Amino acid sequence: MIPPIDHPVWAQFVTGNKTIKSGRATINMLVQNTKMEYERDASPANTKELISRSHKFFTQFESVFPNEIAQITG
Amino acid sequence: MSVTVHAELCTIPEVQAAIAAGESLFLAGSREALSRLPRGNWVGGTSCYFMTEEGCLQAEDRIFVTKVPEFALESTALDYGADNLAQLHRDAPDNGFTFVVLPASSEVLKTFAEKASNFNGFLLHPIVGWVSGVRVDRIGIDKPAVFNGKSGDVLEDRCVALHVSLPIGKMAELEIVNIFESGGGDVIRFVEAGFQASQCLVNGKPANLAEYITSKGIPTEFPLVGDYNGSSINVAFQAVDAAKGTVKLYAPVFAGVDYHFAMPVADYSGAFAKAITGEEPEPAFACNCVHNYVYGKMEGKKAGNLTGPITFGEIAHQLLNQTVVCLQILGVG
Repeated sequence: MIPPIDHPVWAQFVTGNKTIKSGRATINMLVQNTKMEYERDASPANTKELISRSHKFFTQFESVFPNEIAQITG
Repeated sequence: MSVTVHAELCTIPEVQAAIAAGESLFLAGSREALSRLPRGNWVGGTSCYFMTEEGCLQAEDRIFVTKVPEFALESTALDYGADNLAQLHRDAPDNGFTFVVLPASSEVLKTFAEKASNFNGFLLHPIVGWVSGVRVDRIGIDKPAVFNGKSGDVLEDRCVALHVSLPIGKMAELEIVNIFESGGGDVIRFVEAGFQASQCLVNGKPANLAEYITSKGIPTEFPLVGDYNGSSINVAFQAVDAAKGTVKLYAPVFAGVDYHFAMPVADYSGAFAKAITGEEPEPAFACNCVHNYVYGKMEGKKAGNLTGPITFGEIAHQLLNQTVVCLQILGVG
């Protein structure tokens, strides 16, 4: 089950306070690019945009990355 | 559960027949071979190096064919320039994947490499493919090209894409196989993105990358390895000019990524056999880097059990170097 977009776990994920360990390249690209984007611009507007992108990604690929989603919700 | 897709090295008449039969195809071959094909629902690019079941080989009179699976709902061939490349992700299907080929040394490749991660839809739409090139003894003489079989256009400054829609219950996922790992040691960082680097930070201290490589005697047939949250993303060296203090690269480096020089690999074929055990699902598509073919002296040797084109850059969402890229089509739900 994907937490709703306003759940605090997404802000924790985007700001790097919730980490994911994965062997899947797509997930690791998401994590790294989110980290780089947040380091470049940590404004509330960009944080909101990064949360939106991350939530959309995990919603779309919920069935492909269950272990990674469990790390976010856990 | 993954789905096997038909992919093999074919003769030109075999490919002509497949196009005439209405197949949707993703092709790799020499310019001469691809030029002999009729119009149809296919895209392709120039490369005459291939991984086959018999081993890696060079062939100018055959074409590597990846057939779009029969269960695909739709496949659409399009081409894009640097000016409208952001449209690539917008045109990609909601559920599916996109095959793409970009010509080496082109503006559209540079734009893709530097900006793809900023495009709306990055990672949401699996973009998989490769960079077209020429015979290695003809680099700088011949020009890499891509072919839009739908329009009949042969393009040197645009990329081609085949957008493939999948039905509910099937999803595409991209994987990479990297025989290189970080060699440890100094951490290299860059303050700006680009295909050329001069200044960098070595363990946080300003340095010139070309001077650093030269003074340390670092072999540049092995890549820089970027740490993407534990996944290794390679950047290959093109040229080191110690006099000018510049290093040219085959993919951009990015600010915010920790890079290390790769641990040297002596036996490429053995490394692939170790990395690709045969227990993995057979990919729907795979490609491998020409640097691995050349530096690893892979002619006649196998890259695990993989087949596919040998290419001048690999695409798995973004541009990669010295890497194997695999497309898996998963049965889900």
